[in-house]
Amino acid sequence: MENYRRIMANNREWVKKIVESDPGYFDKLSKGQQPTFLFIGCSDSRAPAEVITGTEPGEMFVHRNIANQVQPADLNVLSVLQYGVEVLDIKHVIVCGHYGCGGVRAAMAEPFHGLVDYWIGGIRNIIRLNRHALEGMGGDEERFKRIVELNVLEQVYNLSQTPVVQQAWDKGPRPLLHGVVYDLHSGLLQELVVGLDSNKKAQEFFTPQLRMSLHGA
Amino acid sequence: MSVTAPSARAIAEVSSPPVAGGWFAYAREDAAASIVVALVALPLCLGIAHASGAPLTSGLVAGIIGGLVVPFLSGSQLMVSGPAAGLVTIVYASISELGGFEIFLPAVALAGVFQIVMGLLKAGVIKFYFPTDVMRGMLAAIGLTLILKQAVHLVGYDADYFGDTAFDQENHENTFTAIAHAFGATHAGATIIGLLSLALLFLWPKIPSAKIRRFPAGLFVVLLGIGLNALFRALGSDLMVQPEHLVAMPSSGGPLGFFGAVVRPDFSAFANPKVWSAAFTIGLVASLESLLSLEATDRLDPWKRTSPPSRELVAQGAGNFLAGLLGGLPLTGVIVRSSANVNAGGRTRLSAVLHGIWLLVFVLLIPGALNLIPLSALAAILIHTGFKLSPPSLYREMARIGWWHWLPFTLTIVSILLTDLLVGILIGLFIGGGVILLRHSRSPVLIPIGPPGSVLQRFILPVHLSFLNKAALANMLESFPPGSRVELDARRTAHIDYDILELIHTYAGLMKERGVDLRLVGVPSLPGGKPSGH
Ligand SMILES: [Zn+2]
Repeated sequence: MENYRRIMANNREWVKKIVESDPGYFDKLSKGQQPTFLFIGCSDSRAPAEVITGTEPGEMFVHRNIANQVQPADLNVLSVLQYGVEVLDIKHVIVCGHYGCGGVRAAMAEPFHGLVDYWIGGIRNIIRLNRHALEGMGGDEERFKRIVELNVLEQVYNLSQTPVVQQAWDKGPRPLLHGVVYDLHSGLLQELVVGLDSNKKAQEFFTPQLRMSLHGA
Repeated sequence: MSVTAPSARAIAEVSSPPVAGGWFAYAREDAAASIVVALVALPLCLGIAHASGAPLTSGLVAGIIGGLVVPFLSGSQLMVSGPAAGLVTIVYASISELGGFEIFLPAVALAGVFQIVMGLLKAGVIKFYFPTDVMRGMLAAIGLTLILKQAVHLVGYDADYFGDTAFDQENHENTFTAIAHAFGATHAGATIIGLLSLALLFLWPKIPSAKIRRFPAGLFVVLLGIGLNALFRALGSDLMVQPEHLVAMPSSGGPLGFFGAVVRPDFSAFANPKVWSAAFTIGLVASLESLLSLEATDRLDPWKRTSPPSRELVAQGAGNFLAGLLGGLPLTGVIVRSSANVNAGGRTRLSAVLHGIWLLVFVLLIPGALNLIPLSALAAILIHTGFKLSPPSLYREMARIGWWHWLPFTLTIVSILLTDLLVGILIGLFIGGGVILLRHSRSPVLIPIGPPGSVLQRFILPVHLSFLNKAALANMLESFPPGSRVELDARRTAHIDYDILELIHTYAGLMKERGVDLRLVGVPSLPGGKPSGH
């Protein structure tokens, strides 16, 4: 309970500080949001979207789930995506994974984690499809990193195939899709794929070979 | 008497259209209807010829051609053709201007040629542009006209010619003064026959015996009228209807007499330019009236058959060409006879053909017998038809569906009642067209999709954008404040007028300067590049 009280106290202090420096701050924000970014990241507490991207409230629309999944039948992420693209006119959609992701690690182990095993079935597929390449790699850490990266790419691909993005691309080069990985050790974001804004660019990036290693087709 | 409007009962009675080519599929119904139509047509032909200042035979010739020629070429199953009240003014003026009926006849033949040409050029498509509200108003107005005009004939006041539809009558009365006069000049015998006939016509469908019901009510009241009058005469009663209130067939002296009385055209008149201009006017007006009648008749058809309009122009043209050569008045499709045909249970074009045969038979063989028919019995048939065309439920429905339907409907009725059919319908078309344009120009030009308050305001353009939408679209585009983001999606738009395209592209530049993020989706670029100015 003490921990919880600390949060409330922090909040009061934060408000005081903000209002001192900008009295109209909350008025402005309460008028509405026009965020430029949609961030799809992992629920992991060590990868807080606004903090690692340096964005202010109002700038970024955020969706987080375990292992930053964009599953084609997940109404949650699809609603966020549709609202973000069609109503808020989001320009950039960023899928952000992170090294040391617990969700990915769970997919590499035997399935006995509970519900989350269903959730990360897609990552298990990626591992299975890349068994050969992964087994040929030097160490466990390297393998783990590679799976995290492949997972981000798979989610960017899934994103590009959603009706929301397809319909938007029918109209013009918007939104732009990006895939990045956050490094817990260095705090740096590493770019895996940048600025997909059309089916043409998506096709160029997702070569048949890459797609084969992501979802076998 | 079975069908007029497609009520549930009527649809139950006439369930499906006849098989193709079934000339005699409904021979019994068509024969019964044709007699009623011919009996109604007879005084109309005579009355219109009289009012046109033409020989009475010319009206009969036109009626006979309307039956024996036009239906074979026409695509309509129910429309009856013949001399039209709507042409009376034009015909009257043309005859006096040209200086004789024999000079007028070549103009009629030429008018027919014009009509054939118009038909071959597919000019009949204008039929599809008659606004529904105006057509409904026209039918209602014809119904009211029949009731008001025939009411005086029902009571034996036959000062005006039978079948006049204009407000200002030939005899310098108008519709309402005539009714007022009629109250002071009723003929008791004619009134008894008329009212009795009218009551019978309304009660006929309620007769329990189906056997009796199958007998054409219109024919029955005519026979009843003749019978009653014969009774009055036999009794030496004052009720006896005098010849001026009976059908007045010209005593032709038999078949040869009739043909002898027919005027032959003066073919040398083709050199006269006035003949050509008269022909042009008649061809145009007769075509319009025929197409209006065609559309109206199609609307009355309980089977909802639609008739090809350009083919109708060719059919009418052939009819007029022959009428001109054979000494007839110009003819058109006529609504009163057509609706009497529908009302009397006519099903196929056989009834229109038979009506022509009956007219011919009447004229050649039994002109004397026809002169026994009291006009008030025929008036009762037309008044009954009038009620069917103008039922109170129609006015209730038009009031219910909104003022923009009600207004053209009502204005068409008022104009037709106060002028005549043709002038009234033109006023109605003008006003109806205006209302449609007004509604069109007010229709939404940008259809919002997505929730209100969206950062990106998304709109789709309607299927059709014409220059009429220009002002509304400009106002809409003006209304976006700086900083707004707007998407116009024209991918579902089938047609955009050039004016609109130019406006959109001009605004695209203007709005960018103003800080509005305007995104055009699927808006074609201007054919000649962007307009100058930005
Ligand atoms: Zn994670």
